[in-house]
Amino acid sequence: MLLQAAFIKDNSTALIDVEGNTLSYKDLFDFSKLFYSQINKRTLIFIFSENTLGSVAGYVAALETKIVPLLLNTGTEETLREALILKYQPEYFWLPESMTSEFDGEVIFKAYGYVLLKTGLNAPLLYEDLSLLLPTSGSTGSPKLVRHSYNNILANARNVGKVFEITSSDRALAMLPMYYTMGLSVITSYLYGGATVLLFNGSLTDAVFWKFLKTQQATILTGVPYSFEILSKLRFTRMDLPDLKIITQGGGKLNPTLFNEFADYATRTGKKFIATYGQTEGTARMAYLPAEFAQSKVGSIGKAIPEGRLYLVDENGEEITQADTPAEMVYSGPNVTLGYAYSGDDLCKTDERAGVLPTGDIAITDADGFFYIVGRISRFLKLYGLRIGLDDIEQLILQTFGVETVCTGTDEKMKIYITNQEMIAVITDFVIQKTGLYHQAFEVLFIPQIPRNEVGKVIYNFE
Amino acid sequence: MSVSEKYNSVFISVFNVEASVLGHDFTSDTVDNWDSITQLSLVTAMEDTFDIMLDPEDILNFKSYLAGKDIVAKYGVTF
Repeated sequence: MLLQAAFIKDNSTALIDVEGNTLSYKDLFDFSKLFYSQINKRTLIFIFSENTLGSVAGYVAALETKIVPLLLNTGTEETLREALILKYQPEYFWLPESMTSEFDGEVIFKAYGYVLLKTGLNAPLLYEDLSLLLPTSGSTGSPKLVRHSYNNILANARNVGKVFEITSSDRALAMLPMYYTMGLSVITSYLYGGATVLLFNGSLTDAVFWKFLKTQQATILTGVPYSFEILSKLRFTRMDLPDLKIITQGGGKLNPTLFNEFADYATRTGKKFIATYGQTEGTARMAYLPAEFAQSKVGSIGKAIPEGRLYLVDENGEEITQADTPAEMVYSGPNVTLGYAYSGDDLCKTDERAGVLPTGDIAITDADGFFYIVGRISRFLKLYGLRIGLDDIEQLILQTFGVETVCTGTDEKMKIYITNQEMIAVITDFVIQKTGLYHQAFEVLFIPQIPRNEVGKVIYNFE
Repeated sequence: MSVSEKYNSVFISVFNVEASVLGHDFTSDTVDNWDSITQLSLVTAMEDTFDIMLDPEDILNFKSYLAGKDIVAKYGVTF
């Protein structure tokens, strides 16, 4: 599906890791057959992923042979991991060798530092067009998954290919984790285009990252707002990177200072800076701001990607066409996913969205038809690129401690208000443990009582 | 606050730890949440605290409690 015959034939390099190990398209093709011969049926597999050869090879093999993977972070918190296993009953795990001892299953195959474990569980019924499952990027302990079709993945690969003009001579730096939709989109779309994907699994503050970027002559790099803060701090814009052609950004709004810094850098050095917008529910990318507008339309998410359409609707679902009128933004296109899953029973569900996705974001358009996000309908924040559902956090605390909270805040900082002052420290530790959030990304504060209106509904904008 | 206390207070606030754990074994290899997020917060807070501006190379090498002391010392901070 992803692997094109031409690239398999000429044996070009598909993947390179930080140690310089490589896999060619032919290797991936052969590996896919070998991988399938261990399993021999369409079933559900959990891939505990990292940006390494073994992990990506397993993902590619699963897609190629119609085995359905759920991609998870190797560091998925244990309670959530157990809940996912219980709810979805995967027949296999594909995980780093070092994690083998954490599970009971039978080891039936090893390759590239990864191990195939048979769990002894019976996978649920799988809808024939179900290709891939991803967590809803929120690491808020929710076992809710996004169901992708085969066509979603192909549409993403094809249209991202058009936006970035991907060719087989590209060398794409994959530094965002592959269980994260934007990170996966980099890997998927560049493999589809026959390029070389440079797999980086560490931290941007490691010297090895900078060496990898330069010596492997990356032509494109993709980051979230937080990546750009680090790049800026490390004086990225003063480096000489002659091979780099495109810098793309997703995962939330970049602040105007950084946006300008990178847009100016791109213009000065003859590169392209492309801001994009997307969600897991829309197979990563849904809109992009063409590089030629990076300096004149700062902060805009641009327009829909090829084959897609963005529009605004009022409360009655009527389309709004006047400029500067804030309203909910809707996306339609072939990359709109099938829907959510909450348990194994949902994996036989068909397409619930028919290609239309209300984004939960409030946007306006300018006179030239460029979109700008100005607010949100859904109660979630994007903290360090992670989508955190505020209601999920409230529920999590309520279920664990029986304490009512009000969760609000901005993409800079989440605020959790509790009525019991003595529990501030306990709840702080709990939220760090459950979400993996950096402790300065949120604050637990005391409030004498939960603010409510006369009908008892919680007031969120009380500050 | 002494220079040492100021230096420690940055670690205490960034890593959410007690002063007693700060020492030779407080490094990016041994501290669980020492990642790119805490690393960046750490150097930014050091810069603000001591009114200095670190070179990229020093930011990348700021990987332990002890190494950090040598790094800020290069910018005229004396312990």
